[in-house]
Amino acid sequence: MADFDRSDAPASWTFKFSAGSLHKLSALLTLAVLVFAFSFGNDAFFTVNNGLTILLQTSVIGLLGIGLTMVIITGGIDLSVGSVLALSGVVTGLSVKAGIPVAPSMALGVLTGAACGAFNGFVITKMRITPFVATLGMMLIARGVALQLTGAAPISRLGEAFGTLGNGSLFRIVEETGGIFPKVVFPGIPYPVILLAIVAVAAAYLLRRRKTGRHIYATGSNEEAARLSGVLVDRTKICAYTLSGALAGLAGNVLMSRLVTVQPNEGVMYELDAIAAAVIGGASLMGGVGNISGTMIGAFIIGVLRNGLNMAGVSAFIQQIVIGFIVILAVYVDQIRNRR
Amino acid sequence: MTPHTQSGPPLVQMIDIEKHFGGIRAVNNVSLDLYPGEVVGVLGHNGAGKSCLMRILSGAMMPNEGTIKVNGHSAHIQNPHDAREFGIETIYQTLALADHLNAPANLFLGRELTNRFGDLDDARMMSESERVLRRLNPNFKNLNDPVASLSGGQRQVIAIARAIYFEAKILIMDEPTAALGPSETAMVGELIKQLRTEGIGILLVSHDMHDVFELCDRVVVMNKGRVVGAHHIDQVTKDDVLSLIIKGELPADWSARNLEPQA
Repeated sequence: MADFDRSDAPASWTFKFSAGSLHKLSALLTLAVLVFAFSFGNDAFFTVNNGLTILLQTSVIGLLGIGLTMVIITGGIDLSVGSVLALSGVVTGLSVKAGIPVAPSMALGVLTGAACGAFNGFVITKMRITPFVATLGMMLIARGVALQLTGAAPISRLGEAFGTLGNGSLFRIVEETGGIFPKVVFPGIPYPVILLAIVAVAAAYLLRRRKTGRHIYATGSNEEAARLSGVLVDRTKICAYTLSGALAGLAGNVLMSRLVTVQPNEGVMYELDAIAAAVIGGASLMGGVGNISGTMIGAFIIGVLRNGLNMAGVSAFIQQIVIGFIVILAVYVDQIRNRR
Repeated sequence: MTPHTQSGPPLVQMIDIEKHFGGIRAVNNVSLDLYPGEVVGVLGHNGAGKSCLMRILSGAMMPNEGTIKVNGHSAHIQNPHDAREFGIETIYQTLALADHLNAPANLFLGRELTNRFGDLDDARMMSESERVLRRLNPNFKNLNDPVASLSGGQRQVIAIARAIYFEAKILIMDEPTAALGPSETAMVGELIKQLRTEGIGILLVSHDMHDVFELCDRVVVMNKGRVVGAHHIDQVTKDDVLSLIIKGELPADWSARNLEPQA
């Protein structure tokens, strides 16, 4: 009853930055600074072709990051996405080899990912194993199964159709020049980028506009309160982990399709890039905080950094170091804003 | 305070409820009735079993033994969701709010309003929240802010609003005024009186003797997991109740006092 001094304007009229949007703004600013700096250093950086390359390179981390964002908002973590990505690719590859058409094979791969995620959710909610340990277990299990099924050897000669998802593009404009190589006017928007955009919009819709999304936030914010309010907490968590697994499966198919080869060794440590994307984008590992647009910015910061440092000839090891520092910095900035 | 007339079947009957944790019997063979339009104070020390009993009725905890009847029919309450289906609403002492969500999201948590596509109808939840929160506190603002940034009183108001908005028939209030200032406490008192006239049965867990004697029709006192006294409020004094709470029995002179016709 101490707020007599407030103005009578409805809360929606008063314009102010929430802590979340401030974090997102600083992340966006970081991204802009990176783009500017790399453009300044290399003429080839700020081109349509390189822009599309960055989009393509970021799509896998972006897909994983979206799944992890949902899991992290529930207050959990999913360390298994890199391995699940490989297992899903292996299942798709073996299905194609067994004579199943590409589209149903890829659906099988995504379903495999979803099943791994559902198993994670089951172990976490019903067996009451902490998410860190449960998904660490799945990380080993999925990788082991992927290596066992393939004998650790890549699966190649999967046919042209298998490579379409990863290498095809929309609105590709090619001009016949009469020579051997036609002139590419516009390389087109790669399918993985379109897929990422669709998934990002769908996930944002789920989190903002659907009951399930609201319950994901509530579960991460205060699990006991959510339970007492009648939220089916276990079902909400299983749903988040299943989605994370399915998206890892999708990312696996995109990645293997791009390589037109199934590599059971792919995706090692990808979970850390995905977690970094979510955290840079403002998701809190304590739960209850995070959103898809932030994670997309985070994924692109990592993507731009990788791409720009590559073009500048910086070694992959130095890149790891830089990204490590950026994650720490992002969490530090987050803590400062919360302390205010 | 007008004496309450008990008419019709009880709203709630908790019969022979038992709850033990390992060897500790937190609730030991307790029975409790609540009638429509009645406010029953549930009193006792910390650890006397009153919160445990309330958690069983609200579905937050399952009893080991015993049955619960609502309107005379056996009610199998396994979780808070079930309890709400029976019209049992609870205001928890911890308030049970999700700190990162705003007031409307908390008020409708688990029972979100949706449009015909199943999408969250945030506009309607906002306007409904405004209506019910302003009824409890005309100065309530900050509906867009995460509830973590609100004062203790405002948070309490949200917890109360959440219980009354959905037209509870049975209301469990666990220390509802603990975080409130004097004017808000008075408001909650008025609210309880008003809800009683609407035929709602209220179980009030409180340590505040003044509140209890001001608001309750009956008191049920627990001590070491048992009910040691269930009395009409006119039959006991504050000292009698304190004796029940502390010693688990009435003062020696109580029956003598109550046999004598009072002048």
